[in-house]
Amino acid sequence: MTRTSASLVLVCVAATATWGCAHRNRVVAPEVPQPAAESLPIPAEPLPAGGAPATRVEAEPGVVAATRSESGVTGSDLPADVEAINRAGILKDAFFDSSLSELRTDARDALAADAQWLQAHPTVRVTIEGHCDERNTAEYNLALGWRRANAVRDYLVSLGVAAGRVVTISYGEERPFADGHDESSWVQNRRAHVVVTAR
Amino acid sequence: MTDLGRTSLGLVACLLAGLVAAGDEVYLKVTAPGLQRLVIAVPQMPIAAGVDSTAAASFTTALRDDLNMTAVLGLLPDDNARLVEIDTRNPVLTRQRWRAVGAQFILAGSLIAAGNQLTVDVKLIDLTSGEVALARRLQAANPLAATMAHTLANELVRVFTGRPGPFLSRIAFISDRTGNKEVWIMRWDGGEPQQLTSHRSIASAPAWSTDGAWLAFTSFLHTAPELLVLKPSQGYLKTLSTLPGVNSSSNFSPDGRWVAFAAAAGGATEIWVVPVASGAPERRTNLNAISTQPAWSPNGRQIVFTSTAAGSPQLYVMDAEGTNLRRLTLDDEFADEATWAPDGVRLAYTTKVDGRFQIAILDLRDGRRSIVGGPGSNESPCFSPDGTMLAFSSNRTGRRQIFITDPLGQPRQITRDGANQQPSWVAQMQ
Repeated sequence: MTRTSASLVLVCVAATATWGCAHRNRVVAPEVPQPAAESLPIPAEPLPAGGAPATRVEAEPGVVAATRSESGVTGSDLPADVEAINRAGILKDAFFDSSLSELRTDARDALAADAQWLQAHPTVRVTIEGHCDERNTAEYNLALGWRRANAVRDYLVSLGVAAGRVVTISYGEERPFADGHDESSWVQNRRAHVVVTAR
Repeated sequence: MTDLGRTSLGLVACLLAGLVAAGDEVYLKVTAPGLQRLVIAVPQMPIAAGVDSTAAASFTTALRDDLNMTAVLGLLPDDNARLVEIDTRNPVLTRQRWRAVGAQFILAGSLIAAGNQLTVDVKLIDLTSGEVALARRLQAANPLAATMAHTLANELVRVFTGRPGPFLSRIAFISDRTGNKEVWIMRWDGGEPQQLTSHRSIASAPAWSTDGAWLAFTSFLHTAPELLVLKPSQGYLKTLSTLPGVNSSSNFSPDGRWVAFAAAAGGATEIWVVPVASGAPERRTNLNAISTQPAWSPNGRQIVFTSTAAGSPQLYVMDAEGTNLRRLTLDDEFADEATWAPDGVRLAYTTKVDGRFQIAILDLRDGRRSIVGGPGSNESPCFSPDGTMLAFSSNRTGRRQIFITDPLGQPRQITRDGANQQPSWVAQMQ
């Protein structure tokens, strides 16, 4: 897959005040606001060594982007530690419609690429974190996040990833990616976040 | 009380419902039609020589404040009390004078010193018959004078309702005021907040056992969420469930022997119960959906819970063994967080109106539902142990805060520090 992008990519160095400490080391795969839009992944900005400020990558509104590098699929150039892998944003998150845990087409595309990468790196283990926006009650969201995380795990397993490599956890609405109280934040917070836990 | 209640002497004991204008945000009409708020005169009690003045003031203030905060009792306003000329030689005439300014009962008593202790002798007298409705002698160390007042106020409420008042009750809740979501407790009116956990993780949904000895809650302390129980008096913490999934929204059976909660069965979340003493969790539902937020009925026979078994989250009830399942809500877009009133015939729950959470009350006797529309988003309702008040959380003032209803059933904010949510109310902590 050769992909280019004419889109503007804002690379904000992590002084971004709205970014809570819980997400300090995350590189956030940008939201896909229009599931029908064509996917145009962009290589991530080269990353500093561990301990350096985190990087946040955002796409221009309406433009689909990603932080995954297609060239990085061979085991030999796997970053040295799991934190680096996660910062590189190699694995993409799955985003959900409000209150739902069904996988959208864009989520399936992202997870298919994740599954392909995971099969190319059979030692890697991941945790799927289920997250929700704030528009349900906190306890309901814990259960909804669990359902989302497990929907993602089941899909990865159906694509050939060994079940034992995938752990699920739900944070409900407890660890939002965006702290706002409108759709632009909620859309970021309805996701299954794929985190590498062992390489 | 409103000015209306203060100034029209003949109407001091009028129907509460009559005081609330249409369209007000009234959650509970605790004085059912026909029931009146009883007015008690509490004249200044004589203070014997040697009584610690701080303790005496603390007792008097706490007692008056308490009596002003109940839905069933009201303190005779001072302006009315001043009009009464007391004739010690003619008690019948004096009682008539008290009645003429709106009082129906009088609490007469005296404060006596006993070493470092304060002793209070009181009699509650029915101003119509002259009979003594309650006679009590209470004694406590001076620093506990306020607690003694709360105990007396509880007894006074019990005389009229059969259930003690809320004055020694505690609300457990989740606060992020330290930067992390921890379990806290406070007095029912928001006083004396006290942090119970310092896990620096995520704690959620504290739930008291009815006897106030245990608090169950969900904790991310060990990464994956677990169901923990805490004995606040001893700081004793124990894990009840490490099932996969959420281990969330716990609720004690009324006898305190079981905890119902939500945990996974595959990707679904089902209702489980686990013995508090020891033993494995048992699954009670098999709906293959999102089922959460169980709450045991006051008689222990039923469990109400939320499930998406039919699509959207709705309330269901089943027998505690998991049988006899039926759906309770039909007209809500969203129904969650059901909690029983102590009478066992009403449920308060969270519904959604125009995208915002609102509190609804469902009467199980006739299926009637009333939604209370308040500003902001209002959720997590919880009855006071005597059923006369409701606590809930609301973001109407910015961050989420805990509110309780006042004697007119209207909300009053009781937390301000950080964001505070998920109240659980117990009559008395052990």
